[in-house]
Amino acid sequence: MKSYFENYESLHDSSFEDFMAHQLSSSLCQGIPDNWNVGVRLSVRELSLVGEGSHRHLSSSIRLQIAAASIPKLPAHLCEVIVIQRLPLGVFADPFELQNPHKHKAFRDIAVFGDTNLELPSFQSNRSAVEFHIDAGFNILFMQNNGTEFNLLLPLHARYQPLDESGYSVVEIGEPDMLMRCSVEGKQHKQSCLFMSPPNEKAKSTSATVAWKIPAGMKAHAGFVSVITFVTALLSTLSIVYASMFLSGTKVSKT
Amino acid sequence: MISLKPRSILLISAIFRVGLILFGEWQDTHVEVRYTDVDYLVFSDAASLMASGQSPYKRTTYRYSPLLAFLLIPNSFTSRCWGKFLFSASDLFVGLFIRIILKQRKVPDDLCTYSMLIWLFNPFTFTIGTRGNCEPIVCAMILWIIICLNNGNVVQAAFWYGLIVHFRIYPIIYALPIIIFLDPCFFRSGTKPLLSDWTSDQGKARQINSELTDKCVVSDALKSTFTRSRILFGLISGTVFLLCTGFFFRLYGWEFLHEALLYHLTRTDPRHNFSIYFYHIYLNYERELSVLEKLISFLPQFIVQLVLILCFAKDLVFCFFVQTVAFVAFNKVITAQYFVWFFCLLPLILPWSNMKLKWKGLCCILLWMGAQTHWLLWGYLLEFKGKNVFLQLWMASLLFLAANTFILIVLIRHHNYGPVFRQHTDLKTTKTT
Repeated sequence: MKSYFENYESLHDSSFEDFMAHQLSSSLCQGIPDNWNVGVRLSVRELSLVGEGSHRHLSSSIRLQIAAASIPKLPAHLCEVIVIQRLPLGVFADPFELQNPHKHKAFRDIAVFGDTNLELPSFQSNRSAVEFHIDAGFNILFMQNNGTEFNLLLPLHARYQPLDESGYSVVEIGEPDMLMRCSVEGKQHKQSCLFMSPPNEKAKSTSATVAWKIPAGMKAHAGFVSVITFVTALLSTLSIVYASMFLSGTKVSKT
Repeated sequence: MISLKPRSILLISAIFRVGLILFGEWQDTHVEVRYTDVDYLVFSDAASLMASGQSPYKRTTYRYSPLLAFLLIPNSFTSRCWGKFLFSASDLFVGLFIRIILKQRKVPDDLCTYSMLIWLFNPFTFTIGTRGNCEPIVCAMILWIIICLNNGNVVQAAFWYGLIVHFRIYPIIYALPIIIFLDPCFFRSGTKPLLSDWTSDQGKARQINSELTDKCVVSDALKSTFTRSRILFGLISGTVFLLCTGFFFRLYGWEFLHEALLYHLTRTDPRHNFSIYFYHIYLNYERELSVLEKLISFLPQFIVQLVLILCFAKDLVFCFFVQTVAFVAFNKVITAQYFVWFFCLLPLILPWSNMKLKWKGLCCILLWMGAQTHWLLWGYLLEFKGKNVFLQLWMASLLFLAANTFILIVLIRHHNYGPVFRQHTDLKTTKTT
């Protein structure tokens, strides 16, 4: 995500998908001379929202599958799974909350990119994304497996939504983008490359999103709320002024 | 009758606060809901940035003077609880200063003790400091300014006043009453002003004090406006404020000015809070409010502050109290920590109130807590259950303002107003109503 934001000002789905498809292609493992032609498949087994109200957790269950047999010439390697959860406009993750070591000790690294302002309403903010780095282990590519699962629990908070006649705004959160990065000690320096799931598997279906219904102010309230607010303020003011001038113990007399 | 000595009260309070701080550390580690205020984490992060030579404003939502981050630098290399101990110590100083101020006015020991207990064992106030909120420092400084003024020490009062306005903008509302308070009839060169003592009649029937005479008010109006004390106070406090602000502007630039000063002057928050204006602000946030609308929302605050100052400035502590209650109640944003601004002044006015705890006092307490609890219930439904209850929450904030207004009026009605000082040639006459 750091590379993405070096090239783009804000997060847009089309820009990001373009970035993933083109900018990262040169870093793919299939392209390098040692021919790391291993079938790696990362998929989301489950995506759900946990909790109620304005503070919830996005629960994702990621499955990593390694296909085919071992590759004898492949050197020893260390891999990590990189999960990028793009967030829609209406919600945000608190970067300071994600630094809590007790809750997030399973992750090698977590960072929030994009708009990290915690206070602005959604119509005055931009999108953000959370990037997780999870340790996948040593020499994982040697092991044919049915699937390793990683569970992520991302705390999210709702921003104040644009006004809506229905009184609610629905925000949809899609599946995360996933990569695996493996690094190996080369002759002169450390070498790393990326595995991504094949493009036809990355197409996301609508059922792979979760919907979050967030309360929103109603435009129909605007008129009378403003009037009654100011009338109440005025009445309180007059009461206090009257009490101060006529009901208090102050009195000026001339001797 | 309570027979506890002030030293014992302070010792018990200190032990209690240390216990709470340690409990808070345990809770933060073992329980999902943290005891520590989220602001304390902001202060600590800002302090560690400052300790490493960086700007504290790199920490988002740090909107305080760099002085606060400076005070908390030891968090980084001693214990992360250092700040909490500092704030709790300030909390204890407030209790001590309450006693000193009341003793300056010869209030009897038992009333002084009750007043100390009202502050030191108020659940709201003892959690504030132990959770890591910095307001006790502000309260302690305000009370120290009152002590200095009561002693006629204008220079020291001015220094601390300039510092506190730099630290937390809101005490600027006390500027005019202090200037009025520095009446040349009482503040004369080379003479310590004479304090009016509390008498046992204060707690009974209300009195009307006729202190102001032709000599002091009418004929010398122009001559007495620019007196030595007033000019000195204005110059020293202004210089201290500008020096602090200028120094930190030099260090941290526009970011400091915006976050620590301008943000507070222009703050409007559409998110729900106790203020009656929150929903109006949210509903109109997408468009720019007109000048007329901004003026209309500022006018109630301005009028109330002016009238309270003109009516009560001579009774400085009471003036501070009613001003602060009104300032908080009419503010565009109200958070719970603001309440401590007037909680520290409440024990100082009670010896001059003829309102009894049973039952009027108790009714006021229950009314205020009830209105707040009512708001919190709707706030809980909105924030933690995701129900659209904006309208109900807004109405609860109207009720909260109504409760604050009612209680303020009741306190004004029951207060035995009396100027803090008396003239050296005593011309005071009192008449019982």
